Amino acid sequence: MQRVKFIDRMAQGKLTRREMLQSAGAFGVGLAALPRKAKAAGGPLTCLEWGGYDEEGYIGSYVAKHGALPDFSIFSGEEEALAKVRAGFAADVMHPCNYSVSRFVNAGLAKEIDTARLSNWADVFPSLQTAEGVVLDGKVVMAPADWGNSSIAYRSDLIDPAFAADPSWSIFYDEAYSGKVSMLDNELVIQIGAMVGGMPYGEAYNLSGDALAAAAKDWGTKGVNVSRFLWTDASEVQQAMASGEIVAAYAWNDLVKNLKAEGIPVEYAVPKEGMFTWFCGLTLLNSGKADEALAYDFIDAWLSPETGKYLIEASGYGHANRKSFEIADPAEVAAMGISDPDALMASAVLFLTPTDEVQVEQNRVWGDIKALKM
Amino acid sequence: MSAGSTRTGLSLLSPAFLVMAATLLAPVVALVVMSFWSQSGFDIDRSFTLKNYARLVEPGEGVVWYGIRFPFAYPVPAVLMIKSLAMSFVATICVIGLAWPMAYFLAFRVIRNKAMWIILLTIPFWTSYLLRVFSWKIVLGFNGAINSGLMWLGMIKEPLEFLLYNPVAVMITLAHSWIAFAVLPIYVSLEKIDRSLLEAASDLGDSRWTRFRRVTLPLSMPGTIAATLLVFIPTVGDYVTPTLVGGPGGMMIGSLVQQLFLRQDNAPLGAAVSIVMMLIIAALVGLFLWLIGYARMRKRIG
Repeated sequence: MQRVKFIDRMAQGKLTRREMLQSAGAFGVGLAALPRKAKAAGGPLTCLEWGGYDEEGYIGSYVAKHGALPDFSIFSGEEEALAKVRAGFAADVMHPCNYSVSRFVNAGLAKEIDTARLSNWADVFPSLQTAEGVVLDGKVVMAPADWGNSSIAYRSDLIDPAFAADPSWSIFYDEAYSGKVSMLDNELVIQIGAMVGGMPYGEAYNLSGDALAAAAKDWGTKGVNVSRFLWTDASEVQQAMASGEIVAAYAWNDLVKNLKAEGIPVEYAVPKEGMFTWFCGLTLLNSGKADEALAYDFIDAWLSPETGKYLIEASGYGHANRKSFEIADPAEVAAMGISDPDALMASAVLFLTPTDEVQVEQNRVWGDIKALKM
Repeated sequence: MSAGSTRTGLSLLSPAFLVMAATLLAPVVALVVMSFWSQSGFDIDRSFTLKNYARLVEPGEGVVWYGIRFPFAYPVPAVLMIKSLAMSFVATICVIGLAWPMAYFLAFRVIRNKAMWIILLTIPFWTSYLLRVFSWKIVLGFNGAINSGLMWLGMIKEPLEFLLYNPVAVMITLAHSWIAFAVLPIYVSLEKIDRSLLEAASDLGDSRWTRFRRVTLPLSMPGTIAATLLVFIPTVGDYVTPTLVGGPGGMMIGSLVQQLFLRQDNAPLGAAVSIVMMLIIAALVGLFLWLIGYARMRKRIG
């Protein structure tokens, strides 16, 4: 349609909705909505990755083969990464976890992984090869890579000894610790609050409707008010903990390991409500522009025992490849305590996946609670 | 104006207009269109609906926020809108209050090396906006410049925690980031003032203060107003600053738009919020200009 004619017809209200949409689409309005066209391969590999994982140590064999790191885009939570891809960001690989991978699958963004193309697949712990989340509906959608904990890290020199004697997630909802602790910026704040209130995690992860609203009002608000800041960036919370700005934080294993390495007295608590555990991995996305072989090389690099060794020694996380534990520093392996993912999952509360509707509702309620902080 | 000069004028305008159309008009049209769609699960329902706008004003239980009642079923946008306007308002007042004397000094007291002074003023702009915001995080932080300085002086024993992650931190950072934008327009209108007017005022017996109040200040108004708008409008919707130094307590309406698009996965509602924000700001600016009698003033100053 010619431009002038188009404007005339628009002014006269004679355009059909379809034509409007088409032209709107041409301007990019439809980006998030229109079905994706098949894309030609050939671009650089783009990976959505957690902060801190964007370095060579984790993908040594990929860098050795291709001579450079892929393009990384860092996210702080899977929902953020999901929204980004859905808004049109062309990523080839994403690093979701057991509890979040189904979101990508349900959104129609994940591709099945052909494990025959991964040379390290055979060495992956058999229990992980078939774990829920790695396999969904009979298809492998996530190549498991790293596993670890989520719990409370605290400064043993600065915290009230009463907490150290009987650690509890209630510290993040306790006025006495106002401005001294930092929770993750995540709807988990509401779920964990409900757990402090006596609800088992099996119910709390799936809170919705009025029960969710009530928990958000009670626990969410408290959690938001007590935290000095809600962290999205692991290095931010690490610095705050190192300086003593906060005395306790929701943390993953690597924070404790990093701070201990700096000589800062920090401990990892086993809260009475339970410590969390998770496993994460790599998922192939269909939004990517790169050659699929690059994506497979990237995933295979992550599964290699060398990466596992680095992961264990540098971050204190577990790795999906059995052989990693054979070549890693035995002292480091011993320090981890647990070197078998099954034992870890059994020892703590494994994160679960709510339905898409519940997840969306929790995202919204959590966003609202934060926004209304005074 | 003759036909020729109109044509010249239009052709001079057109490159800027084309750029504006591509980078401003088209996205705004896209936003407007999107705000009449709705999100359902992972898909966007592209049938026309007013649902998003209705949601913003739907009455409900509401919340009380700093003693103000917001009787809406979804009070978050209204609360954040009021909060953002208030925060930007304070930041703008601070900026104008700080920029005016600077511009005055530059226009009336600096005689030699004026260019150098102006270059000096723009030095903060040589670093990125993000970097400047981030440096405030370091200045205001727990073991940042202010806290360690005060502790070294022995004035405080424990670091002050109220410096960062609140609305005040956001306002301080905004004021600093935008101050140079305000100095230049004010400086230009002060510089333009015909010095003989000031002499005439003195000759006719005005005191320094009366001369300032009746000649300098009114004549500086176009620049001051331009500076006010230049600072107020963009800061209302700012999102980087609240994200970095605000914490949840320092959230502004821009943060909500970002959240709706990128975290709550509800782009149509996000679009509606941004459209409403734009309209409210436009209405406020219109009201402001009408209140100060801008049209009258322009006629007088010419």
